Amino acid sequence: MTLSIKKPPRKVVLRRMNLILPDRSIRVIDPAPATVEAILQKEGINPLEVMVVRDGLLIPEDTLVSGDDEIRIIRISHGG
Amino acid sequence: MSPEPLCTKIPACSLCGEPAVIHQRHAGHFLCGTHLIADLEHRVSETVASRQQIVPGDCVAVALSGGKDSTALLFLLHRLFKSHSDIRLVAVTVDEGIDGYREATVRSAEDLVRRLGVTHITVSFGELFGDSLDTILKGRKTQACSICGILRKKALVVGAERAGATKLATGHNLDDEAQSVLMNVLRGDLVRLVRNSGADSGGRFIPRIKPLMYVQEKEIATYLMVQGIWEDLPECPYAIHALRREVRSMLSGIEYRHPGTMLRLMENKKILETGFSGKTGEEPVGYCRECGNPCSGETCQICQIRHSLLR
Repeated sequence: MTLSIKKPPRKVVLRRMNLILPDRSIRVIDPAPATVEAILQKEGINPLEVMVVRDGLLIPEDTLVSGDDEIRIIRISHGG
Repeated sequence: MSPEPLCTKIPACSLCGEPAVIHQRHAGHFLCGTHLIADLEHRVSETVASRQQIVPGDCVAVALSGGKDSTALLFLLHRLFKSHSDIRLVAVTVDEGIDGYREATVRSAEDLVRRLGVTHITVSFGELFGDSLDTILKGRKTQACSICGILRKKALVVGAERAGATKLATGHNLDDEAQSVLMNVLRGDLVRLVRNSGADSGGRFIPRIKPLMYVQEKEIATYLMVQGIWEDLPECPYAIHALRREVRSMLSGIEYRHPGTMLRLMENKKILETGFSGKTGEEPVGYCRECGNPCSGETCQICQIRHSLLR
């Protein structure tokens, strides 16, 4: 007699990346790895007109982000 | 079970390998916070020295609106010249009277001068022109930037004179300057296009200097963020009417796709200045027949605005 041991079902961990836009609204986006530049382009934002902060740290737009990152976009307002 | 870590690599500083905070596309490298500060301060120092913008004995009135550019300008000049006993900085703030906008930037300006220990002079439109900008612009909002620009210039000169200044420094950055070049082309304004704003006026005006003229807007914002003095302030509510807003967006897009465009515009403007100097038929600087202030033409722009407001 052979015993078949059932494997426990693999726990699925849902990743979500939060994108905080300049108007402070939050958008949940695809957590697959992507550069900030690609994300900005998708949102129609020119990287020269914003600064990007990930989990409190300023990052260049070439940074690869993914998973549970929280990305905040700060618009550089003109003037002053 | 914890999720597998994903690659989230920050590009390294081209000079030291530390995590970068900015991609300087025009220069083709990445910089960390420390090297961005050093790079920016070196470039501003070079601009000031090579164009003799500030010399020993100068009292520099720094136009401080409290927004990002003027905040960076005062902060940077203070860092560069605080050990120079023969150079004095005075901050001049113009309160135009723009409800819901200017209060926050004036407060930010006051915080900065207090922190740096710099003398602060405030001039208001109400005091100089009898009304706030909001009142002056009733029924003519589409002219906001041209009217405000002329009145602000006058108010800054009054503030600089009160400070006993020998120079008037403004926070115009590379984006502003390149936008102005393009706007003068679009308007067909050859006189302004080839005019050298830093030229000697024979003592009629306090010379204006622009130490940030070769620094990009994004570099300034990132510098403030790294220095811990960035404030997310509102944009002027009248800016939506300006041609500059459209030019800004267009030029910024071109600069992103073709880095170095803004610098090349400035280089070409310099060539035009040299080639067309004295050949555009610009009226010589004289004095306004109504108020006696120096101007080109018979009546100064302030008096022209006064007349148009009375109509």
